[in-house]
Amino acid sequence: MTDAQNNTDFRKSLDRLECPQQRQLAARFVESVLHLGRDERIKKVVDMVHKGDPDPEELEAARKMIKAAIVDSHCRCGSECDWKEQATYFVARAAAAAVAPENKCITRNAAWEAAVNARMACTCAAMEDEDISAEECAKQAQIARDFLNTLPAGSETA
Amino acid sequence: MSKTSLERGLNILREQIDSPTAAFFSSCVHCGLCAQACLFYTETCNPAYIPIRKLEPMRRLWEQEYTLTGKLKKLLGLSRPITHEELEQWQELVYNSCSLCGRCSLVCPAGLDLTYMIRKFREGMAASGHAPEGLIGATTRAVELGSPMGVTLKALEAQAKHVKADSGLDIPFDVEGAEYLVLLSSMEIINYPEYLQAVARIFHQAKKTWTISSEAFEATNSGIQIGVSDIAAELVQRVVDAAEKLRVKTVISPECGHAYTAIRWEGPNLIGRPFGFRVRHILEVLDELREQGLLQVEGVEDARMTFHDPCQLVRRGGVIEAPRNLIRMVARNFVEMKDHGKMNWCCGAGGGVSANEDAAEIRLKAFKRKKKQLERLQVDGLVTACANCRIQIEEGLEENDMDMPVIGLTEMLASHLKDEEAREGGAT
Repeated sequence: MTDAQNNTDFRKSLDRLECPQQRQLAARFVESVLHLGRDERIKKVVDMVHKGDPDPEELEAARKMIKAAIVDSHCRCGSECDWKEQATYFVARAAAAAVAPENKCITRNAAWEAAVNARMACTCAAMEDEDISAEECAKQAQIARDFLNTLPAGSETA
Repeated sequence: MSKTSLERGLNILREQIDSPTAAFFSSCVHCGLCAQACLFYTETCNPAYIPIRKLEPMRRLWEQEYTLTGKLKKLLGLSRPITHEELEQWQELVYNSCSLCGRCSLVCPAGLDLTYMIRKFREGMAASGHAPEGLIGATTRAVELGSPMGVTLKALEAQAKHVKADSGLDIPFDVEGAEYLVLLSSMEIINYPEYLQAVARIFHQAKKTWTISSEAFEATNSGIQIGVSDIAAELVQRVVDAAEKLRVKTVISPECGHAYTAIRWEGPNLIGRPFGFRVRHILEVLDELREQGLLQVEGVEDARMTFHDPCQLVRRGGVIEAPRNLIRMVARNFVEMKDHGKMNWCCGAGGGVSANEDAAEIRLKAFKRKKKQLERLQVDGLVTACANCRIQIEEGLEENDMDMPVIGLTEMLASHLKDEEAREGGAT
């Protein structure tokens, strides 16, 4: 199960997770690309999720904070794209997935959404060089494997 | 600024004063209705932002050179010549505080197409060296790199790779004989990668052939926004060449307002001949697919949602019912803003306003109109069909501490597609 051979299997393995697990794994994916994000708010959100069992108020505050980070880091229409800055945008979007409301967390597979955005961040950061998103894919598979192995048997429901 | 550049600008401006423009200037009854239709005026109450006033230097030129009284006044030294200083002062009025939304044109009882005139005034402004830095940069990049935001083919290919990984679907490049040629805005490539994936999934379900041209994938046209018709024509020509080379039947303009105006309504006039293919906005194509029963969706949104009409698509472009038909397929509680459809209020960032850094303050002031509309409606979410509107609304909501998801219509439809087979088979 944890040995995801391709993205479909990888995604399906994440589909089975409950919301708190989705959030935890999403936060790990974000952490892996945190160095690409230039906004301190992203780390604060990741730390909050890692702390475990955030209450609704904490989650709401985190959602607002990360939304502001997304808006602040987007590339304005007509301006020259700074790909490094754009990496921050995608890291922030990945972090937003980690604190998504419960219904979206499950229906949109928050962990997968974080993974995809983290890969986009890698692509942006390396736009002028060799794309490093493939390395990130492999890294994410390992992160997911490690995470899923820490879960008690049968705890990943769907 | 040199005397030569002023002369060049004034010459261009003289050429722009055609018979409709002359008729418009002589027909103005000074009723002030255009003021009440312009969100830059209503949200600031600054008389400088009254639409007809934004054209004052151009009006004076018309009067001085094309009317008897104006000629006499000029002869007697009673008229004021247009100077660099004046045009410099007008830059903010012509570029930062006009989004070419067309609402003033719609309400004018004398039929003045003020947007048409501002568009022409920008030609003179650009030629005299008074275009804003932001738009100059965007236009230069559009000409040199093919994208106003510096998006290269490499960036698009990288995004296509992510779509493949996420959905299992290939993004087709340079497929000759495909039915549709899909254009994208740089904003979609950079900020909203979900758009491309949504298009791929919808066409996969509808079993339609489509392609992207590696030579001309950019839909936006900075030449229109800055007011340089030669550049606008060149950018349109690139798309026409790609469409003809690939022999496509339809070129699809993306979720970008002015791109639609540029390619569909101004395009043939700019290059001086009709196109050998159809041009449609993505929402028009999706509505056609809906009519043909090729858009199969499941599930409905229970949230109370509204639609922000992008001005160039709806008021200027006439695509009014298509978005509503599509939204009703997937949203149970769709509600309209008080002023909607062709009378909707602009987001405040169109027509090149967003490209100008120094316009940030005024465009966020202008957003207050949208804020009032949304507060009155009390909705849970907003749908739109223009990436620039979307980002302006997201920014405006954030600025005003309003929490509401904003989503592109194509993306929303794709999230309700019945066929999920496309998700199978994505390789790492």
